[in-house]
Amino acid sequence: MDLTVGPAERVAVVGASGAGKSTLLAVANGAVPPSSGSVEVLGQDPAVLRGPALRRLRARVGTVHQHLELVGPLRVVHNVNAGRLGSWSAARAAWSLVRPQGLPEVLGALERVGLADRVFDRTDTLSGGQRQRVAVARLLLQDPELVLADEPASALDPVLAGRVLELLAGPASRDGALLAALHDPALALRHCDRVVGLSAGRVVLDAPAAALTVADLAAFYGAPA
Amino acid sequence: MTAVAARPVSPVLRRDRRRWGWGLAALVAVGWSLLAAVDGEVVNPAGSVQFGRFAAAALSPALDGAFLGVLGTAALVTVAYAVLGTVLALVLGAAGAVLVARTTWGRRRLGWAAARGVLAVPRGLHEAVWGLLLVNVLGLDPWVGVLAIGLPYGAVTAKVFADLLDEVPRGPYEALLAQGSGRTAAALYGLVPQAAGGLLSYAFYRLECAVRSAVVLGLIGAGGLGYQLSLSFASLRWPEVWTAVYALALLCLAADVAGRAVRRRVAAPRRGADVLSRDRVLTAAVAAALAGVVWSWWFLALSPASLVSARAREQAGYVLGAAWPPAADGDLLREVVRQSVVTVQTSVLAIAVATAGAVLVAGVAARPAGRSARGRRVAGSLLRAALLLVRAVPAPVWALVLLFVLLPGVLPGALALGVYTLGVLGRLAAEAVEEADARPRTALAALGARPSGGWLYGVAPQAAGPALAFALYRWEVVVRDTLLVGLLGAGGLGALLASRLAAFDWAAVTTVLLATVALTLAVDLVSDRARRALR
Repeated sequence: MDLTVGPAERVAVVGASGAGKSTLLAVANGAVPPSSGSVEVLGQDPAVLRGPALRRLRARVGTVHQHLELVGPLRVVHNVNAGRLGSWSAARAAWSLVRPQGLPEVLGALERVGLADRVFDRTDTLSGGQRQRVAVARLLLQDPELVLADEPASALDPVLAGRVLELLAGPASRDGALLAALHDPALALRHCDRVVGLSAGRVVLDAPAAALTVADLAAFYGAPA
Repeated sequence: MTAVAARPVSPVLRRDRRRWGWGLAALVAVGWSLLAAVDGEVVNPAGSVQFGRFAAAALSPALDGAFLGVLGTAALVTVAYAVLGTVLALVLGAAGAVLVARTTWGRRRLGWAAARGVLAVPRGLHEAVWGLLLVNVLGLDPWVGVLAIGLPYGAVTAKVFADLLDEVPRGPYEALLAQGSGRTAAALYGLVPQAAGGLLSYAFYRLECAVRSAVVLGLIGAGGLGYQLSLSFASLRWPEVWTAVYALALLCLAADVAGRAVRRRVAAPRRGADVLSRDRVLTAAVAAALAGVVWSWWFLALSPASLVSARAREQAGYVLGAAWPPAADGDLLREVVRQSVVTVQTSVLAIAVATAGAVLVAGVAARPAGRSARGRRVAGSLLRAALLLVRAVPAPVWALVLLFVLLPGVLPGALALGVYTLGVLGRLAAEAVEEADARPRTALAALGARPSGGWLYGVAPQAAGPALAFALYRWEVVVRDTLLVGLLGAGGLGALLASRLAAFDWAAVTTVLLATVALTLAVDLVSDRARRALR
């Protein structure tokens, strides 16, 4: 696979289940080392970095994995604040669990996903769609340059899904980039500039979104439009 | 929810009042116990020489043939007591389960509650207390050891068996009833097969516990390894003491490992090709257990006649007559209250020590899910081995050792029980960490969090609930063990009981026993409420 994502690009990754979308995102955020070849993220190779240097790079890459990265027994405010753990000291992180730090920013981020009134609720009392928005709020607080999103809108209604993708594309509009695995063709075409199709771990489609239609993508999934 | 559209603009952080209440109460209880523990003289400077000699002997245990022979026989006695006690408990438990199962009582809740209440009395008294009471009725008879294990274990087993049967899905049972089967037949075909795995693994778990109890009964004179240990201890022969400690650690360890292997086997049965082929390992384990029963009966030379001999009947009549009504004079009651307070303080401090220790070791003792550095793996294995060793030695042995350097009171008992309980809680907390979902921690690492941040925000919030629930549950166990440590001289209600027993003051013994049962019930209640607030 040979794929380059440039600054200010918004790329949708499409493909059937098991095509390698999640693996691509995991390799890009350094969670999984490539079995062969090399990866360059924001000009650096996460496989050769260690310790604080690796942490600094990772703090610049934000990932939304549906909502499975949230901790149920923690309050929403802590799950959102976890986005800042890359820059916080250990002592500040620990203290924040007692006295939530930087509350205005947390409220601001939650306001943008429409969940400000749930800031002090336990996360496991939220619905799947609400948790997905909490995961997005965490990413907003992290304020990364590269956004990697794995089905960020799978549990949301169309209006909220569009709103969430706009938020995720924020960094891309400031010379960052967005790489999002999406199932919904309409969403992919509306919010991305470029569509990359994967099949069995290979790039089989790479075209500007403007050149594609919803029917093209539906055919790609093998489902009738 | 009201239909008003306006939502609060700035939400306020509301603490869970119940949880904060419990947390605050726990802090106060620990502080209060700690103050009592360090009140006045606690260290016994004169004992440090003796402690030094004791510690020095750790690496040179007595290994002469004669002593090893004695120990070998003693170990067999301990095993025989454990096996027969467990069998008695299982028989009593199976019969008792029918009497206390909800299935039996149906909607008659009052009868069910009364049956459960009756069970609470044998359960509330420690095996060692049973042993001391029975020795006064039966004299030095091997039945004492068997009954002392079998009676309280039987009550616990009845409760657990009944719960297992009640928790099984009711569909098959009700279908059988609907087609006209009798209740017994319907239970045999519809309930028992579903619960069989749980019943079998609990039976083997009880056997493991019984080995430990048999050692403890030896410490108060019932023979076996514990008795040899106390003899060597009393005559200050430290190398022998250490041999006995190693032997009983090995025995408890063997019971632990074998019991867990059988239980794991029950939990994950092998699929056989033949319909009627049985699991060979399980069959062998059950056959060995049955052969062990016959051998134990022969080895201990049990005779049913001694249970109903004229002397035993006469003695039982005398003790029961003298024990009722309970003594109620002011001095005794004041002493009972004072020693109850000491018992509670000891148990609170013990569980605090164990919980704090468990929190510290849980992270390292847990097996890491993915790749990890070699140093991390080695440290984990060493820590797990240390926890195993710490919980293999019964708490009273730790207490006897600590009583060299500390004066009797809250501190030695609390530390001894704390160390032993740390062995148990450390393992449980590590398992809670292993079971926590790994994805949040991975996600935190991916956004650049330090390892400490991933731990605080990803793992600890998930593991804290189960680990605290275990700690509260173990507190109930610790209160019972505090009595035992007290019997051996560490203070508290146990020490009061020992002194009243030595004076054959049966009316006072009844009072202390009633206080004991009331205290354990109260602690069970508090712990149960606190665990509910945690959920």
